[in-house]
Amino acid sequence: MNPDRNLGTLLDGTLHDTLAVSLPHFRPELCLAATIVLLLLCRMLPVLRLVDSGFLALGGVLFSLFFAWNDVLTLGGGAWASSLGDLLAGRQELFGGLLAFDSLTAYIRLLLAGFLVLFILFTKVSGIPDREDGADFYTLVLGATLGMCLMASANHLLMVFMAVEMASVPSYALAGLLKGRKASSEAALKYAVYGAGAAGVMLYGLSLLAGVLGTCHMPTMARALASLDSMWMPGGTGMALAIGGLMVAAGLAFKLSAVPFHFWCPDVFAGAAAEVGAFLSVASKAAAIALLLRVAFGLGTTGSGPDHAVQMAALGETRHFIVGVVALLAALTCTLGNLAAYGQTNMKRLLAYSTIAHAGYLMMGVAAAVALAGRDAGASRSAVAAVCFYLGTYVFMNLAAFAIVALLRNSLRSEEIASYAGLIRTNPGIVVATGVVLVSLIGLPPLAGFISKFLVFSSVMESVSLDAERPLMLVLLVVGGINTVISLFYYLRVLKVMTFDPPPADRTADAFPLVSIPGALVTALVVPVVSLGIFWSGLYAFARFAGAFAS
Amino acid sequence: MQSSAANLLVLVPLLPLVGAVCTVLLGRRLGPRAHLPAVAGIGAAAVVALLLLLGTANQVGGGHADPTHPVEPVEMISTLWQWATVGDSRSGDLPAAEVGVPLAPGSAVTGGAFSIPIALRLDPLTATLLTIITGVGLLVAIYSIGYMHDDPGYPRFFALVAMFVFSMSMLVAASNFLLVYVFWEAVGACSYLLIGFWYTKPEAARAAKKAFLVNRVGDFGLALATFLLWMTYGTLNFHDTHLADGTIVEGILGEFRLADEVGYVGGAVGTAICLLMLLAACGKSAQMPLHVWLPDAMEGPTPASALIHAATMVTAGIYLITRSAPLFVGCPGALTMVSIVGATTALVAALIATVQNDLKRVLAYSTISQLGYMFVALGTGTMLGFTAAIFHLVTHAFFKALLFLGAGSVMHAMGGVIDMRRFGGLRHVMPITAATFLVGACALAGVAPFAGFFSKDEILAALHAKAHPEAHGSDHAEAGSAGERPRDLAGGVGLVASVPVRPFRPGSMITRVSLSDAHDVSHEKVGLDALDHPSTWRLLFWMSLLTAGLTAFYTFRAVFMTFTGPVRVPKEAGHHAHESPSVMTMPLLVLAVLSAFSGVVLFATNALSGFLSATPSLTAPAVVRTAVPHVFHWEIAIQGTLAAAIGIAVAAIGHLGRRSDSPQLERYLGPLGTLFANKFYFDQIYAALIVKPLEALSLVTAFFDRAIVDGTVDAIGQVPLAWGSAIRRMQSGLVQRYALAGVVGVLAIVLALAWQLRP
Repeated sequence: MNPDRNLGTLLDGTLHDTLAVSLPHFRPELCLAATIVLLLLCRMLPVLRLVDSGFLALGGVLFSLFFAWNDVLTLGGGAWASSLGDLLAGRQELFGGLLAFDSLTAYIRLLLAGFLVLFILFTKVSGIPDREDGADFYTLVLGATLGMCLMASANHLLMVFMAVEMASVPSYALAGLLKGRKASSEAALKYAVYGAGAAGVMLYGLSLLAGVLGTCHMPTMARALASLDSMWMPGGTGMALAIGGLMVAAGLAFKLSAVPFHFWCPDVFAGAAAEVGAFLSVASKAAAIALLLRVAFGLGTTGSGPDHAVQMAALGETRHFIVGVVALLAALTCTLGNLAAYGQTNMKRLLAYSTIAHAGYLMMGVAAAVALAGRDAGASRSAVAAVCFYLGTYVFMNLAAFAIVALLRNSLRSEEIASYAGLIRTNPGIVVATGVVLVSLIGLPPLAGFISKFLVFSSVMESVSLDAERPLMLVLLVVGGINTVISLFYYLRVLKVMTFDPPPADRTADAFPLVSIPGALVTALVVPVVSLGIFWSGLYAFARFAGAFAS
Repeated sequence: MQSSAANLLVLVPLLPLVGAVCTVLLGRRLGPRAHLPAVAGIGAAAVVALLLLLGTANQVGGGHADPTHPVEPVEMISTLWQWATVGDSRSGDLPAAEVGVPLAPGSAVTGGAFSIPIALRLDPLTATLLTIITGVGLLVAIYSIGYMHDDPGYPRFFALVAMFVFSMSMLVAASNFLLVYVFWEAVGACSYLLIGFWYTKPEAARAAKKAFLVNRVGDFGLALATFLLWMTYGTLNFHDTHLADGTIVEGILGEFRLADEVGYVGGAVGTAICLLMLLAACGKSAQMPLHVWLPDAMEGPTPASALIHAATMVTAGIYLITRSAPLFVGCPGALTMVSIVGATTALVAALIATVQNDLKRVLAYSTISQLGYMFVALGTGTMLGFTAAIFHLVTHAFFKALLFLGAGSVMHAMGGVIDMRRFGGLRHVMPITAATFLVGACALAGVAPFAGFFSKDEILAALHAKAHPEAHGSDHAEAGSAGERPRDLAGGVGLVASVPVRPFRPGSMITRVSLSDAHDVSHEKVGLDALDHPSTWRLLFWMSLLTAGLTAFYTFRAVFMTFTGPVRVPKEAGHHAHESPSVMTMPLLVLAVLSAFSGVVLFATNALSGFLSATPSLTAPAVVRTAVPHVFHWEIAIQGTLAAAIGIAVAAIGHLGRRSDSPQLERYLGPLGTLFANKFYFDQIYAALIVKPLEALSLVTAFFDRAIVDGTVDAIGQVPLAWGSAIRRMQSGLVQRYALAGVVGVLAIVLALAWQLRP
């Protein structure tokens, strides 16, 4: 045994793994990182300050989008006809198992990059940030997105923690973007304090899990879990695992703004600029759901192997635990989010609660996917696809909602629902656009939101009919249905104010017309909300592609 | 060629749709020129439709083929996109395919998963109807420029007309029963909006509501028929779809099933499908007992009545049955029902029309009656019957549009008065309208050589052949030998056998019917099928002949009352009652030329029936077997002309040269006249049997809804509000309390999980 030779092999192996395997699949993230560096450089050199940071960021994101798209194509074998087997063969672990590269990674990264393009265009139209703040703002946004990409591909609990922090810390600063506004600073501080607490709890949970199972690499953890006799074994091991799992769940729930860790969300959304709200409610939520899928499937299932069936059966108890936690949180989150949205007078606050409620619906899909994993792999993949489809449509619905709030704020100088009264008389186009977005958020046909909700609920129904956690899923189905009805009232109340109420006497300025640059942006965001309700096959094919990760 | 034709085909519905959207968007800015997008869109679509018609005729082979010589079916499918695809091959799990339930309408690309192909088709039937719809649509749109002038809803009218032309084109071009259903509803919606165009008038609003509700009954039938088709055939496509794995899903009207002698389901299921389709057709085409909406629909603007409630939309039922011909020929009972419904409607509507004094209502009942005529022809289930029905559809579209537009011209000049007793002698006031109206009347009455004469003659001939099978025996023998000739159809039967084809859905209630037996008169018949007997057909023939006489009578009664006698003008018309502007009379002249000559040209060249016989639906062996040589039926023409002559003579005795407010014929009819004048009391019977009980029920349910349902909802509505305020109080803004809530929440979850996961 020659220790030098061993070290050499190790180094060679690591180098090869990093340069030849990992980095090529890491190009979208690398683009984001390079753009951040460029943005910071431009801050330092007076000449380069002339460069508009927004367009610089847009350029970088477009590169990232290109590579993300490329990854989707490569993984899909260049055509959409590739089989499941090919897709699974394309699955890889990067950086020595820290990250996983598979169809979910590719899909979420594509979603995030695509969202960023729309988001940067939106901020350029809405005018926040101003030129002075631009570099800071986009650096933070890109940095947070980098963290979110890592969340979507985390394969190791340490990476989970790292990614969550990378996504959260820039968000705290973003929440305080409106310098000099008390509400904004207060929101940022609350967010940071709450986030720090959640991070601490999560880290504690991680260390408990790592201590019991001896590793943080999720596939290895799953195998270790499968080899345990029962979670309720004597000696406190099971209790440690359960407490550790719950603490990790608390950290994830914070990112998801799930009840009872949602309190930061309304305050932050109401205090921060609507632009920040749009970013947090869409990108952060998509990444958090992807991370929840990663952790739930990482710990609750094992990849294919000779003893796959045995291992999956042995993990039944783990999945039972995960489904229990996720379903409970989902039901609570959905219900509380919808109930609290009642009687809100501020549109951003209302949308904050709406975001919370939608996180609940998404988590129902995740719960169904995990519950189905042990029963029918195909149905489980469909459930993941439903969640991914939901995320895809949610990008447009929620970004459009926040864009309308931000652009109306620019012209009406108010974000109160009451200030929208009677807009239909002067701006019918905007009211129609808002109506489309809100009705889609309710989930009524023929809009995108309906298809999303339908797919998620039918996945839950599927687990009821396949007897995968039947009682729990039945409860979820009922809760989801009731909540949809409840949500009808507060979304439609906004429309009622916009159409039936007389315009306030002190309104000085008109809202922006539909035929204008802001109007074009709103139209560009609303058109997909309508067309995805009709032509949903395309996005659904992508979502099914992403769903293939669960096997 | 195929792809360019496909592109052209898409243009036919697309251009009017663009026109409609532009009118909606730009209507207010265009002001008095708001008709431009709609007229341009429909006009361009008409040109494209004409090109497609010529192209298709070219493909059929000159269009001079005799229907007795089997022709290759001509069809072209253009699939625009697959809609609502669920499940796909990449995931490897195909829930539908695995459990063997009937597969989707279509499923072309996705390997057996559910999907709905948005597919258009072009075949002789579609090409003919597209030309009629866009052509008459264009003339009506041009006419409306003058007629709707100064109406406050000017842009809305043109947007609706263009929207209607779009929907109707899609209806006849769709290659899928689901799409047919969608656009069946869409044309109904356009019709509803146009009937209620002057929605501030209570009668118009009521008429629109009535049309909508009565049509629902028929639409329900179509929905049920669609469900049954799906359950029976496992697809809703007309055409065959080729799957990626090489199998073929036999479309309901695809070439494989058409070539298959036992390809269609008969018996109870087949008859049920056909009767449900007949119900749908009765609703849309205003046949008894669902005809009551059409006369009231005259509350809409006259051009809309001409286009929708005379020329095109109401013929959707005829289209549906012709398209589904192979389904019907397997169910002789259902076919005979079609004829019985048609003949009864034709006779009853004609009787009612004889005593109407409202010019538009005379035309409305005449439309119902003529549509009944087409149903009679369809019900014969022979090649001659189907082609005669479509022939009559075409000529009727021309002359009935002409008559309606003429009536509109009169109404326009008379200041909105349409009661024939209040004006007369108008040929001196508006000569062009009078002359063109006379041409239309001659066509409707079946006076030789106008268009209606030839199409009516063919219908009567088709009936006569059914009523006297022995007289036409020689035809049958000849046709039989023609039918037995092996048809060279895409490689013939061999190909059918070599391709794995999805079978029927396994089920106990389905019996395949051998179509070769369907026309065997000696075959033992039971149930509804027993109706298919020569004596039935003899009765139907005489009913139709009587209707022909009545038609001539009421038509010329209207002509004489309106245009002859001393000049009388109601005071609403003002002092300057005059001929309509040329933008209105030009379409009248064009339609008059078509009404005068289309019949003789199409009959003499045999262009239409030969052309139509290449429609896939009509190339089913059971239909081809019934084809007879193209001849002029002298004896029937004489009978028809005699009936018309008697009708015109009676009308002349009663009304020619007299004041139009002189005593009416109905006085001599006694109680029968009262019966006709009250439209056989259909409205009253429906009111007593259906409307009143429903109103009583609605009072109860309204009380229940307001007091109990609303009360409960209001009470429930308070619950989230209360909860919401409680939750809002938790959102205190103090981060310490948030943390506390988090800890309490975790503890609660631990307790809940401990309870749920208890070993």
